[in-house]
Amino acid sequence: MKRAVAVLALGLSLALAQGKITVWTHFGGPELEWLKAQAQAYEKTSGTKVEVVEVPFGDIKQKFILGAPQGQAADLVVTIPHDWLGEMAQAGVLEPMGKYVTQSYLSDLQGVAVEAFTFGGKLMGLPAFAESVALIYNKKYVKEPPKTWEEFLSLAQKLTTGSTFGFLYNIGDPYFNFGFFRAFGADNVFAKDAKGNLDPSKLLIGGEVGEKALGFIKDLRFRYNLVPEGVDYGVADGAFKDGALAMIINGPWALGDYKKAKIDFGIAPFPTPPGAKNPWGPFLGVQGVVVNAYSKNKTAAVNFAKTLVTGKNLVSFNQAGGRIPVSKSAAKTLEKDPVVSGFSKVFALGTPMPNIPEMGKVWGPWANAINLAIQRPDSNLKKIVEDMVAEIRKGIGR
Amino acid sequence: MKHPPGLKGFLLALSLLLGLLILSTGVGILGYLALEAYLAPPGWTILVLALLVMVPGAILVGRLFPWLTDWYYFLPALSFLLVFTLYPIALTVYLAFTDYSGARSGFPDRSTETQVVAQEGPRLLLEEPVEEALRCRPCAGETVEVYAEGHRLRARILEAEGNALVLDRIPPFQAAFVAKVNAFRFVGLRNFSFILSQASKALFPVFAWNVVFALSTVLLNALFGLILGLVLNNKALKLRNFYRTVLIVSWALPGVITVQVWVALLNYNFGAINRLLGVLGIYPIPWLNDPDWAKVAILLVNLWLGFPYMMTATLGALSTIPDELYEAAKVDGANPWQALWGITLPLLEKPMLPILLSSFAFNFNNFYIIYLLTGGGPAQEGRLATAQATDILISWAYKTAFSAEGQSAYGLGAAISLLIFVLTVAISLVNFRVTGALREVR
Amino acid sequence: MRRLLAFLLVGLALYGVYWFALNRLFDAGSYRKQVAFGSVFVPYGWVYALGLLLGLVLLLLLYSLIHTALTNRIQGRKRSPWPLFWQGVTHLFLWVLILLVYYPVVQVVAASFDPTNNLFSFRRPDTGFLLLDAKVIPYVPEPSLENYAKLVEGVVLYPYQVGLLLLGGLALLGVALIGLLRRLLTPEDWMDFWQGRLLLLLALAVFALALTLSPRQFTGQGTEAKFLLWVRNTFLISGLTGLLAVLLTATAGYAFARFRHLPGRYPMLLFLIFVQMFPGFLALVAIYYLLSRLDLLNTFTGLVLAYSGGIISFGTWVYKGYLESISPSLEEAAMVDGATKWQVFTKILLPLSAPMFVFIFLLQFVGTYSEFVLANLVLTGVESWNVGVGLRSFTTGQFQTKWGIFAAASVLGSLPILLLFYGFQQYFVSGYTAGAVKE
Repeated sequence: MKRAVAVLALGLSLALAQGKITVWTHFGGPELEWLKAQAQAYEKTSGTKVEVVEVPFGDIKQKFILGAPQGQAADLVVTIPHDWLGEMAQAGVLEPMGKYVTQSYLSDLQGVAVEAFTFGGKLMGLPAFAESVALIYNKKYVKEPPKTWEEFLSLAQKLTTGSTFGFLYNIGDPYFNFGFFRAFGADNVFAKDAKGNLDPSKLLIGGEVGEKALGFIKDLRFRYNLVPEGVDYGVADGAFKDGALAMIINGPWALGDYKKAKIDFGIAPFPTPPGAKNPWGPFLGVQGVVVNAYSKNKTAAVNFAKTLVTGKNLVSFNQAGGRIPVSKSAAKTLEKDPVVSGFSKVFALGTPMPNIPEMGKVWGPWANAINLAIQRPDSNLKKIVEDMVAEIRKGIGR
Repeated sequence: MKHPPGLKGFLLALSLLLGLLILSTGVGILGYLALEAYLAPPGWTILVLALLVMVPGAILVGRLFPWLTDWYYFLPALSFLLVFTLYPIALTVYLAFTDYSGARSGFPDRSTETQVVAQEGPRLLLEEPVEEALRCRPCAGETVEVYAEGHRLRARILEAEGNALVLDRIPPFQAAFVAKVNAFRFVGLRNFSFILSQASKALFPVFAWNVVFALSTVLLNALFGLILGLVLNNKALKLRNFYRTVLIVSWALPGVITVQVWVALLNYNFGAINRLLGVLGIYPIPWLNDPDWAKVAILLVNLWLGFPYMMTATLGALSTIPDELYEAAKVDGANPWQALWGITLPLLEKPMLPILLSSFAFNFNNFYIIYLLTGGGPAQEGRLATAQATDILISWAYKTAFSAEGQSAYGLGAAISLLIFVLTVAISLVNFRVTGALREVR
Repeated sequence: MRRLLAFLLVGLALYGVYWFALNRLFDAGSYRKQVAFGSVFVPYGWVYALGLLLGLVLLLLLYSLIHTALTNRIQGRKRSPWPLFWQGVTHLFLWVLILLVYYPVVQVVAASFDPTNNLFSFRRPDTGFLLLDAKVIPYVPEPSLENYAKLVEGVVLYPYQVGLLLLGGLALLGVALIGLLRRLLTPEDWMDFWQGRLLLLLALAVFALALTLSPRQFTGQGTEAKFLLWVRNTFLISGLTGLLAVLLTATAGYAFARFRHLPGRYPMLLFLIFVQMFPGFLALVAIYYLLSRLDLLNTFTGLVLAYSGGIISFGTWVYKGYLESISPSLEEAAMVDGATKWQVFTKILLPLSAPMFVFIFLLQFVGTYSEFVLANLVLTGVESWNVGVGLRSFTTGQFQTKWGIFAAASVLGSLPILLLFYGFQQYFVSGYTAGAVKE
């Protein structure tokens, strides 16, 4: 504790020094403007120049891991999803944050979020906002969100006409589909061991759970005729923006565009799929700010990260783009916001995505299995699940 | 004065040139290291310094061995090749025998960072039990990094017990933290044995489709190009230059752009192609969603991209056939059909063969069409996530090393690259044998 | 032996087609008899389409019969109508082909003028015309330049840059005009002279513009507003790497072609070929490491150097082949007069080699113009992207689909290459077929 305070004091005194830090961000539009405004404000108070560089989301992880040790990466990244944490931490490019923050600072952040950004017992970044998918519906078509599967199905099928769709979503992506796996019995991707840590050797999405969930996803296409071939994220998102889609599974990141397209939307959890024992519950993702372990201007970077993740600034961030902050004080301010309250209910059903690096070995085969299941009406689910589990096991074992 | 002959002369010249290059690079690196302490110069100073040494060095050596000056014409290309082609290749070959990957990058794992409480020679006392803090079991033999503000040291753990560990060397500074290094190791042939052990899920089907793809796309394009070439070669046809110019548009447009456009056009529900088929009374075709149709889609798009080249090549080859042959055939009473089979096609063989073979070699590693059109997908049962229905070797390697499915397995990716290299060389050797291209050079 | 191989290949191909037809085309279980959303299904539409084609053929037949009969009557000769008919059928075939070949192009151009920003549009238009309603012919009810406007949003040009732009435009116009005159009149010397000068002016204007533009002049908010910056980056990168390619390959090609006395020339040529076969861009990690050591990451210089490695082998081979087709008698005469090899190379051969240098330059320019794998690794940040990386980001960015803007950017981004290709068509055609290698 003493040490943390000492480092903090050192940091504060150094923060006034001149220097320059680089920030990588995948934000766009109003959120990018927000970040640039924050950077300018920080420049004024600290005298440290802040350069904001836009890097596509998909490139950040690899570029950071390759570049950081060579001194070729940004001093901090705004933001990374917490499921990258394990891999990036193991690659050694993340600066542990525990020594820079006080307990009182952390106490304003929700426990789940702090846990999501803790790897190997160390806080590796500052969580900023949470996200998960939910059922987003267009109020023009759906007055009351469906509570049961039967309601949902009849509504969706009724609304699927020649020119409008009842329900579409990014059906090939496991992130969007985890809710179904959870409903059919998988609490998470991995089971927890005695100490409460995720145990990569205990895979929960295989076996009967996997078969049932895949069966349901397949039925969405071939039995209920809801999500046809060729639908990916772009198609579903475009349809919703176009006002031609009643219900979609999507996350808070898309809401800015929906507002811009003047869609009157509501947020609700997906109803429990038929034959499932648990309610639907999505992956809870937390995005946060991380600092480069090889940064030449670490204190400035850490201080900037901390100014970004405060209750006040997260509220203004929410107003810019509509993301859901993990700061308790910010959440209190935004209590009345329908998006925040809507998603908070969905978050309560969800479970955090694993942040251990083994998760990286799961995504590929998992997506593969889902895509195989929805490829043909006569796909062999048992074999697909077995193959998936075998490939994941092999990947993790190596 | 005269050039020393034969192998001896060649080796002598080569070693002089390489010696010059290595000497100047060495001076560049040394100079950089010397300057580093004072100026913090950028890395490319090495190149500038090397050049500054090389030019006078070359003049000097040229004075000593006047016959060597002929070789200087090779210097620009050779030095570039060495630095920007051969060096990366050598590094890749080395990586193929390691388990280098995103997580095993050879850098300390900061999530194992543990404070050093006390230090006594090579013996460090940590805050927590070593095995737990550094997450290693057993810890002896692991590489760790010991560091403090402004200092770094790599060392190996000799023994670890409780909160204490003993390093194989004494840190020359007061250590503040210690962290485990995720070192990558030399694994011998393990990457290759992994490829072979998964061969039925990746290597064999991918290789088979790779050959089928390259072969059929060349044949298809050539057939189409041949027909068009024959049609447009008809001198009585009006507007033939117009057609010729207009039809090569798909060659003229950047392929990276047009292939991405095709992805949109081939969408199952919303693509223009299936809409067109709908109007024709044909049910929508899962162009990019079915493992077999995706292969057809790739062949068709590659036909669209590639037929203008084959058409142009055919027209070029046809223009070399003298008209007198046809006139003579006409006099002999041959009909156009006989002229085609008897004169045109046999005479086309010689100029077209090298074009077909090099086109095969090109398509064998045609990464862009596969990666942009289908990304290797769609999924196929019993395959690895990195080696899907339409993946060819090169896209498999790329996905293994650089995409989310492959998890930055750089070592494995490098091993596959090496495999591709061997296969390409083998194919090209056959190619050269058939065409006799190499004999002409001699 | 050769015949056997041909038979084997044809047999295999036929078997493949047969298998596919059996399992995919006519196997009812493998596809769904379901009409795609938003599309119009006309049962037996193909019969109508075939009927239309047949009707056109019949019309042609009728026309050629009547035409021949009339001309025969007037001129009192006896000619067969068949050549005319076949000519007509050929034209019909070629026009159908042109329709098919240009179909994607038309779709993209239409999408670029569609402000709804979606190539996958969902609403079915209600115009009463079948092909429009089915969106087989792109339906753009309110064409607008919105997508293009977004690409140039917030771009600030200084007056002298506008001047450069105008100069470049005028030069382009001049080149096109002379090209047209060349077709219409008999070619004269002044045309060559002025065309060359104007081309040089164009290249200089474009290069100067690219050099003087700075990222600060692109103040637009969205990523797409940086499009012209990407074009400028690409011109710098690809132009420089093209020049470097010529510089690097010229001397080596000369030495390979003319210094036949050097021992080891043949193994070195072989070495060049086989080095080229290594899938170069899979050495990404190594190139990354090298560039980071040289502090050239995220610089255009670094990318240019990395690209240059790829062309050396091929360029050297092509240039060597070209020089070998030139008779050495002129050089030998000059040598007898006491000229050195270097003088022979620079004074005699370089001027003669311009077409080949243009080809090598163009090859490298076009080849790297929309490259995105290596560029994405080396260049970080939206402001330093090239066209390839930028266009790729429109279709793959995190949950982004901007098809309208992608289409507009595709149209604009393709124009320079299209102009280059058609402007230098003869270089490409002769170069490629001489080198017998595509790309």
